[in-house]
Order: sequence, then structure tokens, then C-alpha cells
Amino acid sequence: MAKTDTFQCTVITPERKVLECESTFAAFPAHDGEMGVLRQRAPLVCKLGIGILRVEGDGEKHELLVDGGFAQVVGNCLTILTEASKEARDVDVDATNQALVEARAMKITDDASSAARNNAIRRAQVQLKFAK
Amino acid sequence: MANKRILVKRRKSVRNIRKITRTMQLIATARFQAALARATAGRPYTEKLAELVESLSGASGPIDHPLMHASEDATRSAMVVMTSDRGLCGGYNAGVLRAAIHQVDSSAGSGVETDVTMIGRKGVGYFRFLGRPLADSITGIGDRARFEDVEPLANSLMQRFIDGEIASVHVAYVRFHSAGRQTPEVMQLLPLTSEATESTEAKSSTAVEFEFSPEPEELLNELLPATVRIRLFQCLTDAIVSEQIARMTAMKAATDAAGDMIKSLTQRYNRARQTQITMELLDIVGGANALA
Repeated sequence: MAKTDTFQCTVITPERKVLECESTFAAFPAHDGEMGVLRQRAPLVCKLGIGILRVEGDGEKHELLVDGGFAQVVGNCLTILTEASKEARDVDVDATNQALVEARAMKITDDASSAARNNAIRRAQVQLKFAK
Repeated sequence: MANKRILVKRRKSVRNIRKITRTMQLIATARFQAALARATAGRPYTEKLAELVESLSGASGPIDHPLMHASEDATRSAMVVMTSDRGLCGGYNAGVLRAAIHQVDSSAGSGVETDVTMIGRKGVGYFRFLGRPLADSITGIGDRARFEDVEPLANSLMQRFIDGEIASVHVAYVRFHSAGRQTPEVMQLLPLTSEATESTEAKSSTAVEFEFSPEPEELLNELLPATVRIRLFQCLTDAIVSEQIARMTAMKAATDAAGDMIKSLTQRYNRARQTQITMELLDIVGGANALA
């Protein structure tokens, strides 16, 4: 039964366990870019950004949108902790389009507001891309 | 005889009430089970988060964060009170509100005013009745707590705490220990106490060398707010489970009491009926004797 190329992958939100499976490869959106995980990855704790989590295993592919949170790898277990995760069908395209328009209309006065605007735009764009 | 008819009528109405309370008890039982399942479904997240904080504090030494220190010149504090939207749940709301008001009054005694954020219609109504001010209120959460319900509240409380506007944040809720025991409690949410961040100390013996990205300090800046948010969320799920148990117990008591009442009413009815028959018989016998 013991497979040589898989690891445990779990996605948890405050409300429930979203995903729990054996996988051969997973890529998650880290705070500074996408990061891929294979079996025997060295222990890691990492902050997440917004993006798409991809998990492959058993001929199945899972895709989830995650928005912030943490990833932990320890002993062939990848755990993704996120406060918000969505599947493609859960994205409300109209509302997100609206959010994108609002984000673009945000005024930039200093560094903080510029970062907030960029974040809001990115958040909306990633969601729209994911929904397609 | 009029008395007999009144008894029949009352028994009928008590029977109807018993039907209703029994149904409500069944509904509460079903909702309790669903709420409990949701509460336990959220537990892995909390445990994992505590584990992360643990491994981080192992890597970066003792944790020091603005969320752990109360500002000294703040003259206000904040409190979140979790009550239910609907009634018929026994002493559930009374217990929380009593604990909350006690805390508010005792801190007012030491010169600290409390901004109360009320969750649940019953608490809002009660504070209005008392003429006490509410800073904010959230109603209509129902019996399915969503993380989005408490997230903005937690974020704004943390912001105000870090800005030094409020000295502490407490949560008054009914804590769920087990199906047989729930107690109204006032828990300190902010400043974060060390037991909140060091809940799983036994694990540190099996420490693993982690690779951190970004640096542990920066990760903590994200992790501790997440801990605060999840603690507030857990209070809410706890409160909802406790509410359903309280309603279940209250409705069971009401059903039992209605059953007792039906029994005593039946007894009184039978007695009244028998008395009437006896009297009629006496009348007939008396009449026959008079004729004979």
C-alpha cells in the first residue's frame, strides 16, 4: 500500500476540512510567488498570498482559490491553513467585476493606499482568472 | 356541569402545547448535532495554528507582539457579548448577560468605560430595556456561524487595540464544555495571554528544524491576528452549540411539565365526572324513594 511518491495534503479553514488527499505534487501561492511541493520536502512554514492552489494525485487534480493563510510541511504532510478558500464555481463573477472596478477607482495618496489598491486589484483579477 | 367542560378544554390546550414543545425539542436536538459537528470541524484549524505558533516561538525565542501588551493610557475597553436571536432557551441569555453586565460594571467601577458589541437580538433587546448603550450590534447569524461574520469585528477590535484606543477586549459567551455542562464565561481576548499562544507545550520536545518564509518575526505578525480571529470564531461556534443545548433542555422540561399537567387535569376531570354521576344517581334514588 505504501506508495513511494506521494504525501498527505490537507486544506483546512476555520469552518471545516476542505480537502484531504494523497498527492504526488502540490503548488501553492506563497507570499512571494508560487511554491511547489513534492514528497520528502524539507520542513517548511510559509505565509500564503492570494492565488490558486493545485494538488495532483491519484489521477485527480484539485484546484482551490486561497486568500492568505499559512502552509506547513512536515514529515510528508502538507497542511494549508487558510481563512478563505473557494472553488471555481463559488466565485461570484459579477461581484468580483464590480470589486475590480471599485479597486481601480481607489485613490492613491501614500504607500499604504497604493499597496491596498494593488492588493484589491490583484485579488479581483486572480478570482476572475480562476473562475474562467 | 360547566367545571367539567373547562377541564376538558384546558387539557386539550395543554396537549397542543406539549405537541409544540416536543417538536421544538426535536428540532433543537437536530440543530445541536449539526452545530456540534461544525464546531468539531473547526478544531483542526485551531490546533494546527497553535502548533505553528509553537514552532515559531521555538525558533524566534519568547514571543513579543503589540497584541500582547495593553496600552497604559487607554481609558476604554471593549466587550463582545454573544446571545441568541431567538428565545425559548431557558436561562441561556440571562446567564451571559448577567456575566457581561457584572464585568462591565466592575470595570466601570475602576474608571474604565466599556464599549459593548452585542451579537444576537435578545441581548440587544435587553440592553435597550435597561437603557444601556451599545457600541455595535450584529444580528441574524442564525445557527450556522460563518467565519466572515466575526472576521471584520475581530479586525476592527485588533486595530483599535493596537492604536491604544482600548485597553482590553473581553468576550462574554456560554462556553461548551460537554453536552452536559455549559457555563457562561467572560474570556479575555486581548491582550493575548501566554496560555493562548502556548497551549501545546508538550510537543516542543520533538522540535523540527523548519525553514521559515518570511522570517519568524514577520510570520508571527500574521499568525497572532489569525489566532485572535479564530478564538473569537470559536467562541461563536461554542455559543451556538450551547444555545441549542439550552433550548433542548428547556423544551424537554416544558414537555415534561405539560405531561404532568395533563395527568393532573385528567384526574380532576375524572373526579368531577364521578361526582356528577353520583349526584345524579342520588337525585334519581331520592326521587324514586319519595314516590314509593
